[in-house]
Amino acid sequence: MTATFGAVVRKGGAGLPVIALSALVGSGVTLALPAVLGRAIDAIVAGAAPGGWITVACGLIGLGMAAEIAGAYAAAASTAGATAWLRDRLVRHTLAIGPRRAGAFETGDLVSRVSGNAVEAAQAGPSAVAAATALLPPAGALVLLAAVDPWLAAVFLAGLVLLGAVLRAFTRHTAAAVTAYQRTQGRLAARLAESLAGIRTIAAAGTVDRERRRILEPLGALRREGADTWRVLGRSSAQAAATGPLLLVAVLATGGLALAAGRISAGDLFAASRYAAIGAGLGSLTGVLGRLARSRAGVRRAAEVLDIPTVRHGPSTVPEGPGTVEFQGVSARSDGGAPLLDGVDLVLPGGATVAVVGRSGAGKSVLAALAARLRDPDAGRVLLDGVPLPDLSRAALRTAVGCAFERPVLVGGTVADAVGLGLSRDRVRAAAYATHAHDFVSRLPEGYDTALAQAPMSGGEAQRLGLARAWHAERLLVLDDATSSVDTATEVRIAAALTGSGGGRTRLVVTHRAATAARADLVVWLAGGRVRAVGRHADLWADPEYREVFR
Amino acid sequence: MNPVLRYAVAGLRRRPALALAAWSVPEALPSALLGLAVARAVDDGFLAGRPRVGLAWLGALLLCGLAGAVGARQVFRALGDLVEPVRDDLVRRVVTGALRAGAAGRADDGAVARLTRQVEIVRDTYAGLIVVCRGFLVTVAGAAAGLLSVAPLVALLILPPFALGCAMFVATLGVAAGRYRAAVRADERLAATAGTVLAATRDIAARGAEEHAAAMVAGPVAEQAAAERALAGVAALRTLCFAVGGWVPLLAVLAAGPWLVGRGVTAGAVLGGLTYVLFGLQPALSRLFAGLGGSGLRFVVTLGRVLEATDRPAPPPRPATPRGYAVALRGVTFGYGRHAEPVLRALDLDLPEGDHLAVVGPSGIGKSTLAGLVCGLLEPGAGTVLVGGCPAVEVPERARVLIPQEAYAFAGSLRDNLSYLHPSAPDARVAAAVEAVGAAPLVTRLGGLDATLRPAELSAGERQLLALARAYLSPAPVAVLDEATCHLDPAAERVAEEAFAARPGTLVVIAHRISSAFRARRVLVLDGTGATLGGHETLLASSPLYRELVGHWTAAGTPTPTP
Repeated sequence: MTATFGAVVRKGGAGLPVIALSALVGSGVTLALPAVLGRAIDAIVAGAAPGGWITVACGLIGLGMAAEIAGAYAAAASTAGATAWLRDRLVRHTLAIGPRRAGAFETGDLVSRVSGNAVEAAQAGPSAVAAATALLPPAGALVLLAAVDPWLAAVFLAGLVLLGAVLRAFTRHTAAAVTAYQRTQGRLAARLAESLAGIRTIAAAGTVDRERRRILEPLGALRREGADTWRVLGRSSAQAAATGPLLLVAVLATGGLALAAGRISAGDLFAASRYAAIGAGLGSLTGVLGRLARSRAGVRRAAEVLDIPTVRHGPSTVPEGPGTVEFQGVSARSDGGAPLLDGVDLVLPGGATVAVVGRSGAGKSVLAALAARLRDPDAGRVLLDGVPLPDLSRAALRTAVGCAFERPVLVGGTVADAVGLGLSRDRVRAAAYATHAHDFVSRLPEGYDTALAQAPMSGGEAQRLGLARAWHAERLLVLDDATSSVDTATEVRIAAALTGSGGGRTRLVVTHRAATAARADLVVWLAGGRVRAVGRHADLWADPEYREVFR
Repeated sequence: MNPVLRYAVAGLRRRPALALAAWSVPEALPSALLGLAVARAVDDGFLAGRPRVGLAWLGALLLCGLAGAVGARQVFRALGDLVEPVRDDLVRRVVTGALRAGAAGRADDGAVARLTRQVEIVRDTYAGLIVVCRGFLVTVAGAAAGLLSVAPLVALLILPPFALGCAMFVATLGVAAGRYRAAVRADERLAATAGTVLAATRDIAARGAEEHAAAMVAGPVAEQAAAERALAGVAALRTLCFAVGGWVPLLAVLAAGPWLVGRGVTAGAVLGGLTYVLFGLQPALSRLFAGLGGSGLRFVVTLGRVLEATDRPAPPPRPATPRGYAVALRGVTFGYGRHAEPVLRALDLDLPEGDHLAVVGPSGIGKSTLAGLVCGLLEPGAGTVLVGGCPAVEVPERARVLIPQEAYAFAGSLRDNLSYLHPSAPDARVAAAVEAVGAAPLVTRLGGLDATLRPAELSAGERQLLALARAYLSPAPVAVLDEATCHLDPAAERVAEEAFAARPGTLVVIAHRISSAFRARRVLVLDGTGATLGGHETLLASSPLYRELVGHWTAAGTPTPTP
């Protein structure tokens, strides 16, 4: 289902009729109350008991309060529900569209869609209702003002036009002062970020106070520009204070003359002053429309993600087999259309360790991503033991194939969770042993239960956890430069564990290290998106261009 | 008193606060005179058949508006004088706190956001609070004075329920603050969790852990929705408070209308009283509710977090005067937590003056920890680290220089960057240091010592070259390179390391490549269970790990490797 404005509005659910009804009741009360109060005042002036009118007024006020409470609560509940629904869908959908399409978005951008835009979008229902009913009170007030005395309405409208023109002139000045202020603030922030990036140097040099002075140097300018922003605000609020009473005074004066002429009563004058105040709410209509526009924009931002098609998986399981991987005429292009891999035909024998080498940009990582179905080829197909990868069910594919990366992104509450992502503690431990991550994990404050955020890690350590995370793969393990930051000794041990316990699964290892290529059963040498040669490292080494790859 | 409120009140400086109060008087004139003017205009003017008198009273109201405008303008100036110093203080706190936390090894990821976002929220909401509270007091005082002058009896009917409504609202503030804080926390948790999950889409897909990951976010999403619903309950309570404070006074005047008229209160006075309620007290009440209940809560919560996050003690002084600069470690044990296995265990090490030591071993084994201990940035859990006979944590910074993996470069002149550790160094010595570590071509390309450095435009390797030149220039007799050359190519690394070896003083190299060990006088092999110290030849014979490290390095470079 795509996310349209209507779909989000419908998600507002049972709350929407309540919001609409309470808005209607509230408008009715707002419009009726001044008239009723006016009658009560007239009764008092005439020396009669205003009891009946007061009862009516009490009832109206009570009704208005109840409508406001019900409406506000329904709006909050409906927004909260729709927000949660949208957020859940956004996260699930982003995970389902595959890393290639998800990778087109910055993480911060995605987070702002989930945390910020989802809230705005979820206002679709309440803000649509508000927009539909917002005109009622001011329009009604204008009609009722005319009903009291047509002159009142005419004076009011003329005043409103005049005021609008004055208010338009305000907004222009504020922008410049605020921009200067924000620029200086950005300078301060940039200096702080610089120092924090070099904090170890600063700590060792004992220059914290010197850095403090350096960072705070623009503070004087910030103070001056800050004062400017208040001056600008003061100017506009002075204008508001000068022009504010104009409308009310104009209506009161017109009404007063009508009162003196006997055309209206004192109660009418009171009601007229209220209607003028309600009618001035016309100015705040822009706020309601702004909310509607923001929620439309929020829905659009959500839809940009939700409209992307998800990755499809077939129904098949992996048949018995040694883990043979076949590339048949595989081509892949970048999002811009540049060829990354071009007509690759390859057979990786089951159970073998296959190294993929080549200069940067040769297409090594793309080949790895295709083998792990982290992207689909633009032409050709990739098969695992004879089955095209898209035919496999997601569960079958991910049980059979694992992938570790040069820069693993670890996610989870604890270290154990980051490795297991739902697997049992025993399997986590076994994988950590195999990848030589166990030793340093035990050295963390709480061992495997250390919160991930509290476990500062070197690149090599993170790589070993990333490898442990992929260790469960039953048929094919793809290592995309996944041990580049691990020291050479540990890498040798990990490689031994790979061939030892990993017997029976194929290993596709992207590497820059000659020693790793030397240990592999087979080397695939890529150049410019094509297979340059396939063979053993010792045989390929004779080619000076091959040796050049490892410089 | 709550520390946040104490800070807010203490931040109010006397002079601008008095100016604010003084200029509030003309600003309050319109709201004070509104009901009175309406009452007089009706009673003495329009109903008395003297419309000109009525119009004159209304004209007076417009004049009051002009006086109010002058007042408003000055009020905002005074507001700036009140708020800007508080912002300055917060900026100083955030910067100092972030630097101190970072220097103590507890990096504060939120510091920059705190500086740009949270401090601004505090600035805006602090100003908003002052405006709202002051506006409320001024309006209420003006309206009360006006009411009392129009008809004291009417005032008696209006003011008590109004005060009751205000008191009820204040009583709800505690609950509101708690729920608001919960909502803010839920929001932050959600953003943090969503951030980690959405940054890992590739890794999650590779594991087929989509369900698990979605469930990780589902928890905070549900929490956040519950927190929002709880906040809606507070809004409902507030509506009730408004009914008591804003509508009961109105109904009381109307109900008592005939009785009031019987006691000589005029129609105009009743009208004036209602005007004060509807045009003065009700708007003041709703502004107060919105102000305290909205930006007030934002202020308290945000300022609380800023104060909490920036409350960092100054680092202890380093009073020692070491004799010489020989380094000695005696039975040093260090672990990163109570339950953690120690990274270093009972380590003994002597570095006589002028020594050149390379430290090698697998990653994560404690090499950087050793660097931190020697430089007195970390304190051993057991044992002692001495520099010139004094505990390393008490030795002044000028005794040693540490060049970490992440080189520091800041926006400023190249000269300031290079002479950072030796500000009085003459240009010739700066140039000599640059030449020695092999940074001369880079400095030339950047435009010489007077050029302005833009750190973002440098590669990681170029930053390291500048950091190396800076450390070389420093007068410190002990230099510790902690993988400080990891982004240089092997040839450039060699030039830099040899320059440091030729520099007078002690050199410790935490090795990124095993080749660093070949250049050192002695090598310390750390392997997690113990440490072995010796020369290259000795270690080849005595340390299997060292043999492995060296052997594998050469295997990678030989034309015909053994399978």
